[in-house]
Amino acid sequence: MTRKEKYLQMRKEAGYTGLALLLLILFWLLAGFGAAQLDVTVFHLPLWTVTSSIGVWFMAILLVNILTKYIFQDMSLQDEEVEKHG
Amino acid sequence: MGNLAALVPLLAFMAGMVGIGFYVRREAAGSGFLQNYFVGNRSLGGFVLAMTTVATYSSVSSFVGGPGMAWKIGFGWIYMAVVQVTAIFLVLGIFGKRVAILSRRLNAVTVVDIIRARFRSDFLAGMAAFIIVLFFCGTTTAQFVGGAKLFSTVTGYSYETGLLLFGVVVVIFTAIGGFRAVALTDTCCAITMMVGIVLLLYYVLEAGGGYEAIMTNIAANHPEMLEPFSGGNMPWGLYLTQWILVGICTIALPQSVVRGISYKDTKGLHRAMLIGTVVIGFMNIGINFAGILAHGVLTGELASYGTVDNIIPTTIVTVMPPSLVGLAIIGPLAASISTISSLLLVASSAIIKDVYLHYHAKRGAEPSVRRLRLLSIASTTAIGLIVFLIALTPPSVIWLINMFAFGGLETAFFWTLLLGLFWRRANKLGALLSMGGGTIVYCLTQGLGFKLMGLHQISIGITCSLLFFLIGSLLGKPEDEDTLDLFFPSASEH
Repeated sequence: MTRKEKYLQMRKEAGYTGLALLLLILFWLLAGFGAAQLDVTVFHLPLWTVTSSIGVWFMAILLVNILTKYIFQDMSLQDEEVEKHG
Repeated sequence: MGNLAALVPLLAFMAGMVGIGFYVRREAAGSGFLQNYFVGNRSLGGFVLAMTTVATYSSVSSFVGGPGMAWKIGFGWIYMAVVQVTAIFLVLGIFGKRVAILSRRLNAVTVVDIIRARFRSDFLAGMAAFIIVLFFCGTTTAQFVGGAKLFSTVTGYSYETGLLLFGVVVVIFTAIGGFRAVALTDTCCAITMMVGIVLLLYYVLEAGGGYEAIMTNIAANHPEMLEPFSGGNMPWGLYLTQWILVGICTIALPQSVVRGISYKDTKGLHRAMLIGTVVIGFMNIGINFAGILAHGVLTGELASYGTVDNIIPTTIVTVMPPSLVGLAIIGPLAASISTISSLLLVASSAIIKDVYLHYHAKRGAEPSVRRLRLLSIASTTAIGLIVFLIALTPPSVIWLINMFAFGGLETAFFWTLLLGLFWRRANKLGALLSMGGGTIVYCLTQGLGFKLMGLHQISIGITCSLLFFLIGSLLGKPEDEDTLDLFFPSASEH
């Protein structure tokens, strides 16, 4: 990758990381305040207590998995010019 | 007289930490000193990178004050604490590669090095170094005090003994081993924290008569603990503030960003994002859940246990077999140690690399490696000593100091780093106004107790700092082409 390609790729990765944050915030709202409206019980607890804790955590893991698998790319951390010279 | 059985595992753990410090120093002898001491020769793999980032981020308040509040508030507290699952993937995903590549290009070992190169301003760099040292002293004091208080409650030995014991240990292994020792001890600390959480969960469930009994008791006697707003104890403003303060803005904490300079390759970075998110989620949910489960054991009113800070120590002493108390307390103390070590090192790098070395370089002088080594060790020790002395007569509002420092660092660095590294138009005037003006506004509003809509002052600090940045960047001149080309390669470049 050239320096420019690397920069554009890093900008894209940062943008998608921000997008993952937005999605997680949305999920967090639905899984907590949203699910608290439901009268459902699991493991002797209201549903929202589970979805807003373990649910949000699993969602974060899923989003990071998608990021690192489909958006993030491996690249050399040295500049190509530097590598050529030594 | 204290509980010797509780002290022995702790002493063994501490000895291990010091051992790592000496081992790393022997291994590293001969290689480039600065790169080695402050960023571990950029050689961290994914697992260690994840663990050191999580351990630095998770402090003693995550393990003592936090779960104590969960005991009081209920599941609303976990709902709020879980926003921290974003902390690791955000900092590594947004800044990880950018900082790694730039630091190699600029031969930088600190975040301040990068800021200096981006905005071509020694004054800004000096201000950044000053802010780091100032706020880090606050955070580090809070960690020392929190750790020593916990030590004294659980083992029965005095507060001063605790302070002396792990003050000496942290300063020794950090001063001697540098970044690599900090990263390795952080990894041990993170693993120990997880083991501690599992042990505590197991014993608190057992002592409370099992999961079902505890939950039935909570539903019957504290129904508000099962509501997100906890009967008014968890206002929406607190949720919002926490997203900013311990979630999103933590990406700009210098002690987190510097980890982007320290890893070996992008495969490791990607792995660290995933491992870090798994680990930080487990810790946050696990320890706060233990706080809620403690209702099965601590059934009285809060006043009968003192403050919320006493809930977890009291629970440990009540539910754990005496032989395991020493093991259980290592977890929270490890959280404190791992944060202190990283802060000490970044503060020391701010003094040695960002101020002292730069001053000499400008005069064409180059101090010898031996001199640098001595000075680095001396400054790490000196900062440790100052903080230790402050902690001997602790201010009473520890967690407030911690949060104050957190907010101050975020106000100072968030926009300077984010816009500086991703916005071509960002310039020196914007960064100066944002870092200086934002921090002053933040400290003033804190000092005067001024709040908007009841929100923590970080919301004012971070907004003002953004406005200042935009105004400065639009009014001032853009940086010169050479600088911009270094940071934002144009199409004609390779």
